[in-house]
Amino acid sequence: MVRYIIGRIGYLIVTFFIIAALTFMLMQLLPGSPFNSEKLTNEQIEILKDQYHLNDPIAKQFINYIGGIFKGDLGVSFTYDGRPVTKLISERIGPSAVLGIESTIVGTILGLLLGIIAALRRNTYIDYISMIVAVLGISIPSFVFAGLLQYFVGVKWALLPVAFWEGPLYHVMPVISLAVGVMATIARFMRTEMLEVLGQDYMTTAKAKGLSSVTVVFKHAIRNALIPVITILGPLVIGLVTGTLVIEHIFAVPGLGDQFVDSISKRDYPMIMGTTLLYSALFLIIILVVDLLYGIIDPRIRLASGGKD
Amino acid sequence: MNMPQDHITEDMFKPVALGSEQNEKISKPTIGFWKDAWLRLRKNKAAIVGLVFIILIVLMSIIGPHLNKYGFDDQSLDRSNLPPKVTGLGWLGFGGVDAMSGSDAYEMKGIKDHFWFGTDTLGRDLWTRVWQGTQVSLIIAIVATLGDFIIGVAYGGISAFYGGRVDTVMQRFMEILIGIPNLILMILFILWLNPGMESIILALMITGWTGMARIIRGQTLKLKGQEFVLAARTLGSKDSRIIWKHLIPNVLGQIIITTMFTIPGAIFFEAFLSFIGLGIAPPNASLGSLNNDGFQNIQIYPYMAFFPALILSILMISFNLLADGLRDAFDPKMRK
Repeated sequence: MVRYIIGRIGYLIVTFFIIAALTFMLMQLLPGSPFNSEKLTNEQIEILKDQYHLNDPIAKQFINYIGGIFKGDLGVSFTYDGRPVTKLISERIGPSAVLGIESTIVGTILGLLLGIIAALRRNTYIDYISMIVAVLGISIPSFVFAGLLQYFVGVKWALLPVAFWEGPLYHVMPVISLAVGVMATIARFMRTEMLEVLGQDYMTTAKAKGLSSVTVVFKHAIRNALIPVITILGPLVIGLVTGTLVIEHIFAVPGLGDQFVDSISKRDYPMIMGTTLLYSALFLIIILVVDLLYGIIDPRIRLASGGKD
Repeated sequence: MNMPQDHITEDMFKPVALGSEQNEKISKPTIGFWKDAWLRLRKNKAAIVGLVFIILIVLMSIIGPHLNKYGFDDQSLDRSNLPPKVTGLGWLGFGGVDAMSGSDAYEMKGIKDHFWFGTDTLGRDLWTRVWQGTQVSLIIAIVATLGDFIIGVAYGGISAFYGGRVDTVMQRFMEILIGIPNLILMILFILWLNPGMESIILALMITGWTGMARIIRGQTLKLKGQEFVLAARTLGSKDSRIIWKHLIPNVLGQIIITTMFTIPGAIFFEAFLSFIGLGIAPPNASLGSLNNDGFQNIQIYPYMAFFPALILSILMISFNLLADGLRDAFDPKMRK
């Protein structure tokens, strides 16, 4: 186990290093510089370039860049008057984190409920309706859903604030928009797992020894069905981050995703690269944690195949 | 009257010689791979509905842009922001009535023609643009999926078939690529190549083929050790014959299922990239860019967002339903 964990962390570091190298290469390839302002004279630009070590050889710049990443220095934004990227990110990360966590919680709870009820009432209208909801939730892109929600609930019926991030009511629509996808994915997965567990012999045994149906469902079925659900949390979080980019943009949430989209449209490369690295680190760590967690919770799959399949 | 049995003597009976050949003969026609899958798919109503909608949308994306006289980039500010109008469909909201003023926008601007889906802020016909955009989105999704398929099958197949060191090296490389999140790789790639149809297709391909490669490798490894492959090898079959006649037919179901799930994924990512400003550049349109344009004007001109959103959603739902149905049809064991 320890060897496996060390191996996985090694992979994580190599992958992150490759991503960092790719982003650095891209920065060299792409046009533009932080000092393109017409007010600056050539001499001033040279001074600024010296100040930010942009005249050093590429190899040295790369070492500085990698070193900077570990020190939390991601360079200087092109558009925000040379403010450091790290500072801009830290100002924006709060709302995104809140939005992400709220959506995960809401989506997971609703998804589990929907999946469990659908499995227990298999082939009834409740099951069919749940699964139709799930297919819609998986299929309809979050930005389409968010746009419609904003138009009807926010603009036409004026039930909730249309945009911005100023209080609990402002959270409702963005959280729903993001949670729908999470809910749908978990509901489908949970239903499958529940049906699988409900067909197992130990369920018959539990019923045969006279346990109440509540105990059977809660202690035996749901607990066993929950284990594999952990495996989809990794892809789900990645999907959620993808979602925040557009959802924050639509609802004008002052978060990292909105800023990322903004920096893409302004081609603010240091900002794009900084955020990219942050997202990559987040993804890599989440996937690692999910894999390790799964191995710990379910000893049956303990790394017989190095965690594959 | 003679009793009937008087005429029946024992020597009138003789055994019918049933050769072993006839004995083995199956009286009903055999059901092939495709027919078997189709028979099972046909029973899945949701999948059939999905299939019908996909066929309709594909047809409309081909003929739709030619059904009226407007090109997808014909601009005219005289006829901008016109709501949809179809003769006889006024009760459905196709009356050409402006949502703000409540009067016929066509009369106000003195326009005699009818725009079935309305026009956008530059006066371009949305009917033409929506179907043109659908076409672009579908082409991107299908070409990217085809690329995934070719790279994935070749990579996964070679890796598993030859095994050993080849497999190890190829798997290490792939693990690192899988480690890089799709979204990040796509964004970096498109920033480098500049947004456009080709760069989106390439970005989708670079991130998409690994799923197919993994499945093909897993399946091939499983099949490679089975008796019928061993038997074929013993009988002196060449590698190419084993691959084409034994391995590929057996993984075909898996390949089709994976492909069918890749298409809606590609449609989504194209729309997503267009939505964050890394997609198709104007005046060209895709479902993603039309959605983006539409939602920017949704408060005043809701119809601009409605049609692209509707088509995109129907397309995504249909592909997912069909893919689910195909998975059940090709691989009943995996039925979920």
